[in-house]
Amino acid sequence: MIKPLSWPALAGLLTLALLAGVLLIGPVQKKTTPYASMGGDFTLESINGPVSLADYRGKYVVIYFGYTSCPDICPTSLSALSQAMRQLTPEELESVQGVFISVDPERDTPEKLQEYAHYFHPNMIGVTGSLEELNRVANQYGVYFHKVEIENSSLGYAVDHTSTIFLVDPEGKLRDIIQHSDSPDNILGKIRDAMKI
Amino acid sequence: MIKLLAAFALTVASWSSLAGTAAEQVNVVDPWAREVPPVVSTSAGFMGLENNGNKEHKIVAANSPAAGMVELHTHINENGVMRMRPVENITVPAGGKAMLQPGGLHLMLMMLKEPLKAGETMDITLEFEDGSKKEIKAEVRKFDMKNKPQHMH
Repeated sequence: MIKPLSWPALAGLLTLALLAGVLLIGPVQKKTTPYASMGGDFTLESINGPVSLADYRGKYVVIYFGYTSCPDICPTSLSALSQAMRQLTPEELESVQGVFISVDPERDTPEKLQEYAHYFHPNMIGVTGSLEELNRVANQYGVYFHKVEIENSSLGYAVDHTSTIFLVDPEGKLRDIIQHSDSPDNILGKIRDAMKI
Repeated sequence: MIKLLAAFALTVASWSSLAGTAAEQVNVVDPWAREVPPVVSTSAGFMGLENNGNKEHKIVAANSPAAGMVELHTHINENGVMRMRPVENITVPAGGKAMLQPGGLHLMLMMLKEPLKAGETMDITLEFEDGSKKEIKAEVRKFDMKNKPQHMH
């Protein structure tokens, strides 16, 4: 026969059940991100041939979309990102890869992108692709970009673009979206937060 | 006598502030230009502008011997999408300020003749609405000083 449980025993069991729940469900909950439906793999062209996001499984990948003739927003964002990366410990840095995706394939060759990306950080590469490929990647990440002819400017055209930094985890999942105006310290904090989980 | 002299000096001072050109009335504070990778020939110049006069002033053009072309630009942020656009002029209100800073108004420095290197200075001439001109020296910096990493932990 089953004996009715005493109140203290019941309370104890409940506590155990709660603990088990936290322990079992906790990590699972942490792994789902608000960006589950965004991001994903892509393959674009670098100076050393095609590069896929999947090549960096096991690493945290920070992705930024921009273009090299962008005189202000892109260097500001990439400087902040590179300053954050420079504050990582050598061990941490080993597992962090930067990817600069140019949405201006007309002007940005893989050679130019390599030099540009390396200027900001040796752990950063520059890639681009056809407009079709770039549109696909941009859609995956919710990035808008659009070439705009500018009258009365020697620049000829600018490329309007979303300026955010995407943080992808070692499994290739989009973990966090960082505003370009964030300080290097905030970006560093967000990279380290992702590493803790 | 001293009072008279002081009054005279004050009068002259107020005349000159009334009669001064835009270039005389607008102070340029902390001008700087961004170092960029050598592979890039565009950069941006930033500064604070203070108008000590009692009349609005406008920068209508800028040029530099170091750049093939300098344009006045701004950024419009629409839901995180940055749209860079030229502006006709940069207005400094009477007794007020205007800021050229990353993410907003800036001098677009194009067709740079030499890569800009941190520590160097870049000569820039600002031209105002009344045709007056102001020569400034912008310090080339790798980073925005406001965004410098803090190594004081």
